Amino acid sequence: MDNITIKKNGLHGLLLQLGNKWMIFFLLLEVIIFSIISPGFFSLNGIQTILNNSPSILLLALAETFVIITGGIDLSVGFVMGFSSVISAKLIVTFVGLGMNDALSIIIGIVITLCIGIIPGFLNGILIGRYKVPPLIATFSMLGITHGISELLIEGSYAKNLPKLAGKIGNGNLINIVPGKTVSFFVSPAIQRGERLIEILPNMFVIAFIFIIFFAFILKSTKFGQHTYAIGGNVDAAIRAGIDVKNHIIKIYMLSSLFATIAGIIYMLRFVTGKADSGMVFLLDSIVAVVIGGASFYGGFGSVWKTVIGCFIILLLENGLRMLGFPTFYKLVLVGIILIFAVLIDQFSPELLHKED
Amino acid sequence: MSKNPSKLFSLLAKNWALFFLLILILIFSFTGKRFFQLANFQNIIHLSTISLLLASAETFVIITGGIDLSVGFMMGLSSVLSATIMQKMHAVNFLPVLSISIGSIIALILCIIAGLISGIMITKYRVPSFIATLGMGGIASGIALIMCEGFPVTFLPPYLTDIGNGYLIYILPGKAISFFNKPEGIAGEELKELIRIIPNSFIFIAIVLFILWHILKNTKFGQHTYAIGGSMVASVRAGVNTSRHLIIIYVLSSFLAGLAGVFNVFQTGVGNYTQLSSMYELLAVASVVIGGASLFGGKGRIIGSVIGVILISVIENGLQLSGVDPFYRFIAVGLILIAAIIIDRSFPDLF
Repeated sequence: MDNITIKKNGLHGLLLQLGNKWMIFFLLLEVIIFSIISPGFFSLNGIQTILNNSPSILLLALAETFVIITGGIDLSVGFVMGFSSVISAKLIVTFVGLGMNDALSIIIGIVITLCIGIIPGFLNGILIGRYKVPPLIATFSMLGITHGISELLIEGSYAKNLPKLAGKIGNGNLINIVPGKTVSFFVSPAIQRGERLIEILPNMFVIAFIFIIFFAFILKSTKFGQHTYAIGGNVDAAIRAGIDVKNHIIKIYMLSSLFATIAGIIYMLRFVTGKADSGMVFLLDSIVAVVIGGASFYGGFGSVWKTVIGCFIILLLENGLRMLGFPTFYKLVLVGIILIFAVLIDQFSPELLHKED
Repeated sequence: MSKNPSKLFSLLAKNWALFFLLILILIFSFTGKRFFQLANFQNIIHLSTISLLLASAETFVIITGGIDLSVGFMMGLSSVLSATIMQKMHAVNFLPVLSISIGSIIALILCIIAGLISGIMITKYRVPSFIATLGMGGIASGIALIMCEGFPVTFLPPYLTDIGNGYLIYILPGKAISFFNKPEGIAGEELKELIRIIPNSFIFIAIVLFILWHILKNTKFGQHTYAIGGSMVASVRAGVNTSRHLIIIYVLSSFLAGLAGVFNVFQTGVGNYTQLSSMYELLAVASVVIGGASLFGGKGRIIGSVIGVILISVIENGLQLSGVDPFYRFIAVGLILIAAIIIDRSFPDLF
């Protein structure tokens, strides 16, 4: 990447710093406003609701972050998520039907799903990296194919008869406290009537967050991450620098599908079902979250942590509006406006100026 | 990939979508019940009117090297808005003609304004077209949903569906023939024998497509559109006012999407919002690409896009009539799209 010197002192420097990190201030502003006007927003329950809803969008946005940094886009994540929720549900039901024990069949089902789930990404990567198909088209065709296959598998309905254990894992919390009595981890204790159970940190959020920490490290501090930025910054330069761009692109799209697959498995565990279109609603949100996080569609920019902030801006907005009694439609309008606002801010920041054609 | 392919071969590769369409029609004629019939073909055209409008809008944008992801939601907005105005005016006893035309015109004006905003963002503020139109689509879909609260808009003035679902010629064999309206005084068994020829929607879409084809092929505006897609820098040097031209392109695209929305009201008799998962815009992009356009800009034809749309519609219709699970069509569209790109890449010197 180019070395451009920016004056970092005085009011100008302050404004630049603000411009770079506006999403953090926006998030704080959102927290403050919703806490004031919507009682119960800033409570344990309110936060738990937001965290419970977060894994799908967090993982899909993580997938999009890697792809968008390379200058691409992955439209298939939503339906790969649905695809894997269907596949994992079908597999687990089959294993249980064969007489396997519940826990074993869930584990084996998940492992096989993870292997199947990266196939769409592999095909995307081959089309995009090797055959130079525009990412929009390649991933859209994969979207159609995964959608079709998963609808065929469940015959237009949704997967049923999953073992109850799946729901227990998916809806469990990391820390469960019965005040004055017990504290347990991962599994909620049996409670008597009249007792209050305090649940902190949903299991699925913890799992998603571990992935995020790990891949934030990969993107920021490893050679793999550096190459990802390099390809997005300038493909020709990356090739000249000896990076195997074709293989790297294939890996990126496989990674993207892997995250979507994990999101699908989490969906299956949380809602104890598999649905073909379970991820479609999150596609738009995840792309918007990445753009709010300062990534550029020209490639080369983006960071996992800023994407996470983008995700929470959307999640808070959704939850806050719902608690205030607005229909979810209002969220669409606001998200659209924030998206355009985000891009306009980036357009005026000097970091991007040298990227213009 | 020889340098000088034989004439027949190059003709085949160049028009593969058309040949594929013909082959499909041939296959479905054997497998599908009542596929190869005038009524069914008219049905296919009738049902693809909206997709044709959206795809032709997308054709202009894609030729300039951009993309418009808002068309599907703009269509929903225009459908809901025009229907709401018609409903409100009809409720206070305005003339049907008046309420229908005012509703349609206001919806179209709103779409033009939305296109103007997208265009200004894309040209003056250099927002990537992908993002600007994605945001605009989200806003449009939200406004449409707020307006109709998630339900279709009903209680519209009469005559809407008579116009949208009517036919040019009605023939009752050996008895009567009439234009635009059914022959009077027929009912029951006679209604079944009535032959309907040329749907109004076909006339409408043919006129619109002809105008767009003419603009793109024979006018300076069309030439500049290709020039901008080919090389932005070169067209600026050649004296093309690219900003103004691009704004007009996005206005045109939004206008055509609005037209699709209004026409949707005429066809269904209710105002429909666009569901978030409907992916009209992506299917439109897919048909344009199947029709030989390139997302890098500079390439594309209205006729190609029309073939792309009809190809997808025929697959949908043919699979249905052949009794195949409807979900195969998603897979089919995906595979054809990949095939389109690979054919395009394999014979770069042909296109």
